[in-house]
Amino acid sequence: MTALRRLGLSLMAPAIAVAVALALSAAVIALIGQNPATAVRVMFDFGDSPAQQTQAIVVVLNRAVPLFLAGLAVSVAFRMGLFNIGVEGQYRIATVLAAGAGAAVALPGPLHLLLIVVVAMAVGAFWAGIVAVLKVTRGVSEVISSIMLNFIALGLASYLLTGPLRGSPEGASIITTSPIPESGWFPGLNGVLTGLGLAEPRSELYGFLVVAGVVGIAVAVLIKRTRFGFDLRATGMSPSAATASGVDARRMVLKAMLISGAIAGLIGMPDLLGEARSYNTEFTAGLGFLGIAVALLGRNSPLGIAFGALLFAFLDRAAIPLQFADIPASVVTIIQGTIVLAVVIANEIARRVTRQQAERGSAVAPPTSGDGSTGGGQGPGDGPPPDVGPTTGTGTGVGVRNASGEPGRTDSRQGAGA
Amino acid sequence: MEIPLNESAPLAVELRGITKRFPGVVANKDIELRVRRGEVHAIVGENGAGKSTLMKTLYGMHRPDEGQILLDGEPASFRSPADAIAAGIGMVHQHFMLADNFTVLENVVLGSEPTKGGRLDRAAARDRIREISDSYALGLDPDSLVEDLGVGDRQRVEIAKVLYRGATTLILDEPTAVLVPQEVDELFGNLAELKREGLTVIFISHKLDEVRKVADSITVIRRGTTVGTADPRTTSAKELAEMMVGAELPVAATRESTVREAPVLRMRGVSVTAVAGGRSVVDDVTLTVREGEVVGIAGVEGNGQAELVDAIMGLRPLAAGELRLGEEDITQWSTRRRREGGIGFVPEDRHRQGMLLDAPLWENRVLGHQTRPPAVKGFFIDRRAARADTARIMREYDVRAPGPDTAAVALSGGNQQKLIVGREMSAHPRLLVAAHPTRGVDVGAQAGIWELLKDARAEGMGILLVSADLDELISLSDTLHVMLRGALVATLDPRRVTPEELGGHMTGAARGDDSVGAA
Repeated sequence: MTALRRLGLSLMAPAIAVAVALALSAAVIALIGQNPATAVRVMFDFGDSPAQQTQAIVVVLNRAVPLFLAGLAVSVAFRMGLFNIGVEGQYRIATVLAAGAGAAVALPGPLHLLLIVVVAMAVGAFWAGIVAVLKVTRGVSEVISSIMLNFIALGLASYLLTGPLRGSPEGASIITTSPIPESGWFPGLNGVLTGLGLAEPRSELYGFLVVAGVVGIAVAVLIKRTRFGFDLRATGMSPSAATASGVDARRMVLKAMLISGAIAGLIGMPDLLGEARSYNTEFTAGLGFLGIAVALLGRNSPLGIAFGALLFAFLDRAAIPLQFADIPASVVTIIQGTIVLAVVIANEIARRVTRQQAERGSAVAPPTSGDGSTGGGQGPGDGPPPDVGPTTGTGTGVGVRNASGEPGRTDSRQGAGA
Repeated sequence: MEIPLNESAPLAVELRGITKRFPGVVANKDIELRVRRGEVHAIVGENGAGKSTLMKTLYGMHRPDEGQILLDGEPASFRSPADAIAAGIGMVHQHFMLADNFTVLENVVLGSEPTKGGRLDRAAARDRIREISDSYALGLDPDSLVEDLGVGDRQRVEIAKVLYRGATTLILDEPTAVLVPQEVDELFGNLAELKREGLTVIFISHKLDEVRKVADSITVIRRGTTVGTADPRTTSAKELAEMMVGAELPVAATRESTVREAPVLRMRGVSVTAVAGGRSVVDDVTLTVREGEVVGIAGVEGNGQAELVDAIMGLRPLAAGELRLGEEDITQWSTRRRREGGIGFVPEDRHRQGMLLDAPLWENRVLGHQTRPPAVKGFFIDRRAARADTARIMREYDVRAPGPDTAAVALSGGNQQKLIVGREMSAHPRLLVAAHPTRGVDVGAQAGIWELLKDARAEGMGILLVSADLDELISLSDTLHVMLRGALVATLDPRRVTPEELGGHMTGAARGDDSVGAA
């Protein structure tokens, strides 16, 4: 029952948060003189024809896949208390190098794909690894170094794109790397959609969706079920307790950042292999930062991150139709921002409530009447110690004394200065 | 002095039928307390009996659900500690709330600074503090830095803080927990001064001998309610303890030696520095723990015991020296390898080093044993086996909790500690490093943990026991070392030494060295 209640609480918090955020956003839309109801209608309007509707779904899913990967990358580090703000730089540098490598070689299909993906993961891991090494050897905060490395990564990616890896002719309006040959294209999933009886959409549903799903399951198993995941979570919950239990904190920082970076390297893959076929100046940016929001939204659990990614993707899709309805596209950003804020606040409240309930949950049974000699003032004399309740042996004594719900910790919290 | 229950005596504080509920819990029920003006009134009860809740009620940290607070016969109601302070009630917390890098003066006036032209009026503050210090014989120098003071002095600063705010009733929450016997005597001297000046002291403790020494009357709390009052002059410690626990007490008597020849831990010339190349916090320690032997480490806290434990567990690098577990040199081993090699660890601060508070009990069972059965199967955590083994520990070690999926934070300190002890014992270590194993644990659980340690010793486990509880050290140890400023300064026979002698060695007084090394 407690497990069920905990689940209910953990689901209820984000649900309430999203509702509050939507209400706030509605107020903002109303303030700028638009009708919130129109905005909602536009957002949920997936088009009239079946083809348009499947197309809308494909757009949402295609956007959700990289967001999901970004959220996963952030969450792995988050789980052990590391803030990998550098996912943005990690995926940009990884994507440009993977695109370059993919264009440079010709290999049979699966091998070609594998090479591109492995290059991307390796580069992402390497870039995140720099952060880890700096932290472990020099004590540099990973927040600072990963933010700074973002700028270096973006600059480096621009240099590579315009310099050694440029494939587009001189003077082209969009600079791109050389296109990846067809053996390096990831097959789409439209066959599955039509197989399900849906209309053929205009765009191809990314086949990388399957890879993302596998990565999600792998991360879930790794974190929840393995020794490594236990060490990771233990470090996140209490670094001091983890160290005392034999976890090598420095090695864990390195491993967690490498995994986080490797997943970050995958973020650009759906777009690169499914549609763009090359890295260019217009390549999707900002996924790394959105990944932080998605990870927060999903409370660092792969399933939650999947929901968060779908929600964000759904909102992103609405940006263009909203503009057609004369509502500024920044409404989407406002909604996303308020959702993240509301969810973070709600999660924190939920965490405190759960913790308080846990702290008090198994505390003292209320003092039952007649168990001892309540009020039996002993008077002045040398009378014997007061009557002992006949049922209170030493054994039960321990149990009943199960703390009255206020161990030392509460004291420090209420430390009002005398 | 007259006997309690004299209705005509003026009551400084009276609580009538105080009840305080938290969701699902009644922390205090029908508390009756009558404290006369100018007396030292002790409130005794086990950890978790509801003493702290009661004192928070009296200090305005929360409001009672039922009942009345009367000060000098007048009903009072506090919405915050500020109200309580204004009514003349002051609290000296168990954990000092002092800023180390401030002077005594700055700490005392912090929050109610006398000002002159918008600036801190140091002269006025200094005069006032001198006056307080002189009239209650606190012996404080307003201009010394708090970080240079010993534990006893810090406590007197806390008392001065309360007096500075005009308190006439002082609540002292477990004031002796951090003091050595000599400092306790000094504190009692201070309390006598306070009493002479007509102040009222409410003294919370579970150390019954001290209570009997210092208190004029005693109120006993058990399971959230007052079970009676007692006269310290006519009630024995044993009788009081039985009132507190509500049952006959187990005793921690010593028994015949089980020490064998084979050493499990040998430390030779071990030194640890605070920072690389800096001062030694553990200074050239050489000691041996044999199979079936309990080696006690006594010392005023902060004299290197924590660092010594860290060094054995591999949590701190050695500056010099060598560690051997059995015949193997483990100096270079990682913490995990040491644990796998057979060192169990009951850490000093279970919340910081022993548990994942937000995690369920079964995950806490895995903690520290991530590489060993039954918790793991290859690369994976064996959740089912870990749960089953947690259930076994809960059964065998009397851990009171709903089940293996309960969050650790839901357990009382005693039950958390029993789980930790059970977990460490379950791996059958050769050496158990137990730092303050019964700290913050109620009497029942304390006796249980002592029994476990004794049984393990009888089975041949070597135990290194670091403790601040001198009785515990004396009754459990086979060999007793005293640690002062990082070095082992004396080795004593626990069968002959008294707590007072031990205290003398701990402060260095026994060597004619009068400065207390609370580093």
